[in-house]
Amino acid sequence: MRFFADSLIETWPLFEGWPPWLVYGLVMFAFGALLLFGFVSLFAGIVTVVERRIAARMQFRVGPNRVGIQGCLQWLADGIKNFTKEDLTPAGASKLLYLFSPYLVFTGLFLAFVALPFGQALVISDLNVGIFYILAVTSFVTVGLVLAGWASNNKWSLLGGIRSAAQIVSYEIPIGLSVLTVVLMAGTLSTQGIIERQGWAPWDWFVFANPFAFIAFFIFFTSTLAEGNRVPFDLPEAESELVAGYNVEYSGMRFVFFFFAEYANLFVMGAMTSLLFFGGWNSPFNWTIDLFGLFPAPLEISGTLVFMAKALGFVVVIIWLRWTLPRLRVDQLMVVCWQYLTPIAFVCMLGTAFWMIGTHRWDALDYVKYPIFLLGVFLVLAMAARAVRNIRRVGDPVDLNPFQ
Amino acid sequence: MSAVATYFRNIREAALTVFDGMSVSLSYLFRKPITVQYPDRTPEPILDMVPEGYRGILDVKTETCTACMACMRNCPVQCINIVVEKVGDPPKRMMTHFAINVAKCMFCGLCSESCPTGAIHHTKEFEGASNEFNDLVRFFVDEPVLPYKPPKKEKPKADKPKADTPKADTSAAAKQTADETAADKPVEPAAAPKKTETDGEPT
Amino acid sequence: MPEEFAISGPDNMLLNMGPQHPSTHGVIRFVLDTDGEVVTKATPVVGYLHRGIEKIATEMTYAQFMPITDRLDYVASMCGNLAWCEAVERMAGIEIPRRAQFLRVIATELNRISSHLVAVGSFCNDVGGVTPLVVALREREAINDLLEMLSGARLTYNYMRLGGVSRDMTDQFKRQTLEFLDHFPPALDEFNRLITGNKIFVERLANIAVVTPEDAKAYGLNGPNLRGSGIEFDLRRNEPYAVYPELDFKVCTGEGFRGQLGDAYDRYMVRINEMYESIKIVRQCLEMVPDGEIKGKVPRVLKVPAGERYTRTESARGEMGIYIVSNGGKTPYRVRVRTSSYSALSIFEKLSRGLMIADLVVVIGSFDIVAPEIDR
Repeated sequence: MRFFADSLIETWPLFEGWPPWLVYGLVMFAFGALLLFGFVSLFAGIVTVVERRIAARMQFRVGPNRVGIQGCLQWLADGIKNFTKEDLTPAGASKLLYLFSPYLVFTGLFLAFVALPFGQALVISDLNVGIFYILAVTSFVTVGLVLAGWASNNKWSLLGGIRSAAQIVSYEIPIGLSVLTVVLMAGTLSTQGIIERQGWAPWDWFVFANPFAFIAFFIFFTSTLAEGNRVPFDLPEAESELVAGYNVEYSGMRFVFFFFAEYANLFVMGAMTSLLFFGGWNSPFNWTIDLFGLFPAPLEISGTLVFMAKALGFVVVIIWLRWTLPRLRVDQLMVVCWQYLTPIAFVCMLGTAFWMIGTHRWDALDYVKYPIFLLGVFLVLAMAARAVRNIRRVGDPVDLNPFQ
Repeated sequence: MSAVATYFRNIREAALTVFDGMSVSLSYLFRKPITVQYPDRTPEPILDMVPEGYRGILDVKTETCTACMACMRNCPVQCINIVVEKVGDPPKRMMTHFAINVAKCMFCGLCSESCPTGAIHHTKEFEGASNEFNDLVRFFVDEPVLPYKPPKKEKPKADKPKADTPKADTSAAAKQTADETAADKPVEPAAAPKKTETDGEPT
Repeated sequence: MPEEFAISGPDNMLLNMGPQHPSTHGVIRFVLDTDGEVVTKATPVVGYLHRGIEKIATEMTYAQFMPITDRLDYVASMCGNLAWCEAVERMAGIEIPRRAQFLRVIATELNRISSHLVAVGSFCNDVGGVTPLVVALREREAINDLLEMLSGARLTYNYMRLGGVSRDMTDQFKRQTLEFLDHFPPALDEFNRLITGNKIFVERLANIAVVTPEDAKAYGLNGPNLRGSGIEFDLRRNEPYAVYPELDFKVCTGEGFRGQLGDAYDRYMVRINEMYESIKIVRQCLEMVPDGEIKGKVPRVLKVPAGERYTRTESARGEMGIYIVSNGGKTPYRVRVRTSSYSALSIFEKLSRGLMIADLVVVIGSFDIVAPEIDR
């Protein structure tokens, strides 16, 4: 980013004589605005359509396919519909808190994008406490949800808000511990640093580096599902029990805020998984594009594409899990967190620490990454093989054409 | 089982069953959807996709209606309304009014089964929605029509044990109550004593 | 506020799981007295779907009432038809041809499968997994198509008549039913792998709402609810009717599959196993069905001899008993329908003490309570 700002000052005559800090600030602001209101909102909209299409195909249906080509503009239709709805405030609701909580949730989520690295030179701010900052800032969401639940003057949404507070606060611990596992291996909290310590090849990723990190990946993935209120942990917004929980009284654009915040969080979840465990933007290629001579050096995009592909892959896995699993009850959720995930995450962290001491001494321990990589490949192939076996055994649904 | 063994067994079971369930839903992703995209992208015309014998909206062929009013009597919700009166010059018994209230009709099929000639029958049509409530009443007789008189030798078209003979039709034409005495005729005499034997047996 | 809705304790809150709720199957209202998440008392309030069916019966002839029996439990409407036919035919002493008996059993068992699919599917939807619901409904579409071919309608079939059935089955129906019977057990196995074996699902269901055998008999539960507590009582076996004495099928009971005997998982598994048994029954019937008439001799306007009689049959949800009081006329004097969802709702309050709100949904779904049966 600094590089771009410097090159801007040198090449554009408009910025002649401006103090560098002002140009940096403006570039940051412009990039941030472009990112948030361009990419994230667009992503949140499009992923709703993608989720509905994937969900539909998993259920032998077709999904939205009328608005736009194959339904790709459905999010626009939904957005316009929500925009034109009446903005209700329930009687007896605490008006200020009710109006304020969607913005808290929105802010908490979008601030996390500041530290996500989209490429080697593409990050809004390469904080040296990057991961810590992301975890801290996503806790804003809790405050927003509890406020929404309380301020709606509705016992059902209050239940939803309280459940979500308990859930999100509890699952911060396993997330933190599994992130610490990675931080131990990388030696830095900065997101760029963590990615730079991994290589482009799959066996160089942190997930396969040692068995404790492999387990820590699963713990991290489960906890991040809980943080984002996704199935199997979506009790705060359980449709069949609480009728959408904390956002039952919201309508129109405020509801869209909650909704989009949840879907934008999907990207944060996928991006965090991919940057912590799966190598981030490391890629073997070196594709660059030359933006019409605007910048002195061509912009490398292979890293960005790889990062986006990995993050979107995890988003698809999260969607797949949502439409497969039932949801956990609140006390079972707590049991899973405190009795299963937290102790195992502790063990993983300590194990990684000892492993790292061990690799200093015995170089052979480094080669464990190859068998673990093969284990990962085996799991993926086993899943595909079982799916194929299912299709062979049962086949397509019975089609009783009345004219056969 | 010790607590530790239960602990690890829970983890193993959770991982295996989640893996299995995910493979099943992954396999669903690659199978053909069964959605019929009604109404504009159906594989065949809509009325062809409905099986024969589907109980859709009723239709009446007034040329073959004998005005026996069996359908009106058998309808559970009284949605059929038939009026037969002496009109014309010289006065003759004619059907002046035949209306079916499709909003009330529950498509049960009792009327079409009891029709001796098959004049009232179900079509395959099911898209009868309209913006006006009054459009839901269908009139099948605009001007007075002579009821059909099937020739005496012809067997009734519908094949039912309690089918009316043409004789019974014309006798029960005008009045509803006259039919009760006519109805008991096709009953087997042996049925009557059997009924009294099972009389009043509470279980 | 009525007294029975008063909250017990200063820290409790009154929550209304109102008539409009995604998980009460139909319009039933529950007034919950909860201490946070834990329910102290749950009172069901019924009557939102009352349609006066028993009163309507006194104004229609016995044959005209047949389509109304479809709507007693519209998810399993062939069972309602069969209950009414059995009740009137036994009271009036009407003979039914063999072929009609077999066709009735085929239709009823197919409807039992589709009703269990709805029960199991919507139960899974309430617990959280949406895909099992849609998969169950996909299989049910095939049965809907079959029964549409047979009777002419997709939900309220009105297939049976006093003395037999209304239409004969075609060769196409027989062929396509056999096709479906071959396809269904592997599809049900796959469904079980998707959700029944899932650890999260088992944890939600096991040891919840345990009904002891003594309690089950005391509260008058029937059908899969009773069999889930281990009691082997099935009206098709204990008080057989139609051609059930000649058919070979197992009566499925709960055995404490993954928890205590009589918990929600047992009742769920009883329904899954009953679907397999119904497949066997339909297959046997299709092999054994003889040629012949499909309607017996019935007077055009039937007059049932004076008296009263209670007849019960095994519907998909349990026992459907019809009590007819007749005074010898064209229309019955009084008809009383006893349905199993009503009995199941009676045990609801006892079971719900100490459960969490999320478990209430499990209780309602595991008892397979549908609103039309409760309110008639």
